[in-house]
Amino acid sequence: MKSKGMRKFLAENAGFFFVLPWLIGFILFKVYPFASSLYYSFTNYDLFNGVTKTGMMNYNKIFTDSDITRAFMVTFKYAIFDVPLKLTFALFIAYILNFKLKGVNFFRTAYYIPSILGGSIAIAILWRAVFNTDGLINAVVTAFGGEKINWMASANGALFVIIMLRVWQFGSAMVIFLAALKGVSEDLYEAASIDGAGKWTQFFKITVPLITPVIFYNLITQLCQAFQEFNGPFLVTKGGPNGATTLISILIYNNAFLRHKMGMASAQAWILFLIVMTFTAVAFVSQKKWVYYSDEDGR
Amino acid sequence: MRKIKQWTAMGLATVMAMSLSACGSGKTAETTTAAPAETTKAAAAETTTAGATTSTEPVELKFSWWGGDTRHAATEEAIKAFQAKYPNITVTPEYGAWTGWEEKQSLNILGGNAADVMQINWNWIESYSQGGKSFANLEDYSDVLDLKQFTPESLDLCKVDNKLMAVPISLTGRLFYWNKTAFDEVGVALPTDLDSLYKAGEAFKAKDPDMYPLALGEYDRMILMVYYLESKYGKNWVEDGAVSYTEEEVKDGMDFITGLEEKHVIPTLATISGDMADSLDKNAKWIDGKYAGIFEWDSSASKFKKALEGSVNKPGQEFVVGEFVKMGDNNGGFTKISMAYAVAGNSKHPKEAAMLINFLLNDEEGVKIGSTERGIPCSAAGLKILQDNKLGDPLTIEANTKVMNYSKFTLDSKFEHNDLKANPDGVYYKVFGKLSSKELDSAAAAKELIKGVTDTLEN
Repeated sequence: MKSKGMRKFLAENAGFFFVLPWLIGFILFKVYPFASSLYYSFTNYDLFNGVTKTGMMNYNKIFTDSDITRAFMVTFKYAIFDVPLKLTFALFIAYILNFKLKGVNFFRTAYYIPSILGGSIAIAILWRAVFNTDGLINAVVTAFGGEKINWMASANGALFVIIMLRVWQFGSAMVIFLAALKGVSEDLYEAASIDGAGKWTQFFKITVPLITPVIFYNLITQLCQAFQEFNGPFLVTKGGPNGATTLISILIYNNAFLRHKMGMASAQAWILFLIVMTFTAVAFVSQKKWVYYSDEDGR
Repeated sequence: MRKIKQWTAMGLATVMAMSLSACGSGKTAETTTAAPAETTKAAAAETTTAGATTSTEPVELKFSWWGGDTRHAATEEAIKAFQAKYPNITVTPEYGAWTGWEEKQSLNILGGNAADVMQINWNWIESYSQGGKSFANLEDYSDVLDLKQFTPESLDLCKVDNKLMAVPISLTGRLFYWNKTAFDEVGVALPTDLDSLYKAGEAFKAKDPDMYPLALGEYDRMILMVYYLESKYGKNWVEDGAVSYTEEEVKDGMDFITGLEEKHVIPTLATISGDMADSLDKNAKWIDGKYAGIFEWDSSASKFKKALEGSVNKPGQEFVVGEFVKMGDNNGGFTKISMAYAVAGNSKHPKEAAMLINFLLNDEEGVKIGSTERGIPCSAAGLKILQDNKLGDPLTIEANTKVMNYSKFTLDSKFEHNDLKANPDGVYYKVFGKLSSKELDSAAAAKELIKGVTDTLEN
């Protein structure tokens, strides 16, 4: 009887047991840290000294300390320039690689490789070799009679260097775009050609509208990643010069792991989370106006 | 069929749950030599310590340090020698480069996973001792660790709540080092006072606008400014827990640093950032002689020398220890404990850990192997062994002797606090970055620096 009851219980709850490992992991490693970081953000929690004070002091400091607000502004600027550039570049290359070209598979692989390499130490060294005052770019510039550029002499120059690092890693977005482009029916292009539409017209009037769900997906993922960017500025520019590439992620890292001020790090992380959430929410709300889902009637 | 599916689901769930917990298990580091757990013949009589005896039970120790390749090699050799001497003790090394080391080790200390013997920075005693709990009181093991070889003053600097948290390995201070070849090429004498330093700036500029007699990062600028202020005003930077300089005096220091940039003695921070080098010793302009001087710890200078020696574009450059540049009536600059050995507070074998420290610092064999890899030893016995055997890097010995005889000011233990020293958001980095980029004038920079240091001291 007992085993019958057990069998019934298992049969009725099999789905639950399937998701149970994930659920345990989710609660332990996501929900609990998420909730506790919210609590810690209202404390002066220090890994070595514990909590001795609670209140709004971390948030007060974030909104009144010009260096911290500047880091948020730099992060914002970084994301605003990086995401559109990367998406445009990824879509452009995907569009070209969607043509029936000779050796196209080689080029697809070649363009994807930078994404695999990611923000590693080796790439940081490569990037420095390209952008330093005696680097590859300046070698080309001086060969054509130009003046050497010190990218790190200005805030915008330094930011450009780390934005380019992420734009260069456009491979994963490109592969997703490529898959979407393959899903656009050839019939539409044929019909448009018969009607006299040129390549650009076809691209903007057929391709782009039909892949808007994928553009939307890439926009959201790239936006989240850009706001959380760490490796590029940490490894290549070290947040310099003079805080010009100090993204908020670097401050969070230093507070959490160098100073062990988990309270402040949690507060900064929460502000960052709210910013990302706001941008994501705006994107979701705006999709009604520009994203085309073929399974929706009338749209 | 349905039953099979149900049990498969249960099995998978169990495996996945177990694999989750398995992710947290640690990985044991490779052991250099597996010493057999045999009875030791107690070579205690050969050590400089009287009662260096231990049980014959097998003991496993972990020993962590940071450093470069030569330090790693020397320390591994010393571990082998220690294990040969005490065959029942096995030492597992954990080592790496400095980058990220403090973050990792501080979390290890906090989590109770610290190595039994740790090479620590002096300011870790202040930052991570948790009121004397994180590290063992080494006075409790003075029967195996000969503390008489260290001056009481140096031991006092390693105490918290009257407990000895660590023993100092070496003392260090900042000196001027020059690329003599570059100075000869420019045709100007090595600087000995401010006038000759400024003249060098002019001469280097005339020779090549990309050449500078000295290169300083943000933290170097802070230390040089303190050196300047101490030389001129004759006061410690911090006394009785507060900055002992007025805003006007610090402004004078800021003007001095700005003056060095304007007189082409040092490049701006934007210029150094533009080189995009990891550190000055890895900067191509240092390696090829365009930056011809540094103001560096004597314990770190050898890497700069090695970098010069490795120059492909300009082989044969001569790296020399400079004279102290006189900047006032006083001998500016400070010395500090460069690093120390500590034993984890939760070590199961603190006595054996103390024996390892004694072997490295006081024992003839250990000292000879370690040589000057961690600077000139604080231990009197260690120093004598090196001198008697004419061991050690001559450049390090020359520099250390010079700075110990010259710089007499003391360093506050919070001078190297991460609120001040961290890159890019430490106070030193922010203030000197803004000063160099003209975002702050010298008065505002002085005010911001004093405020930042005071906040750190008060916290």
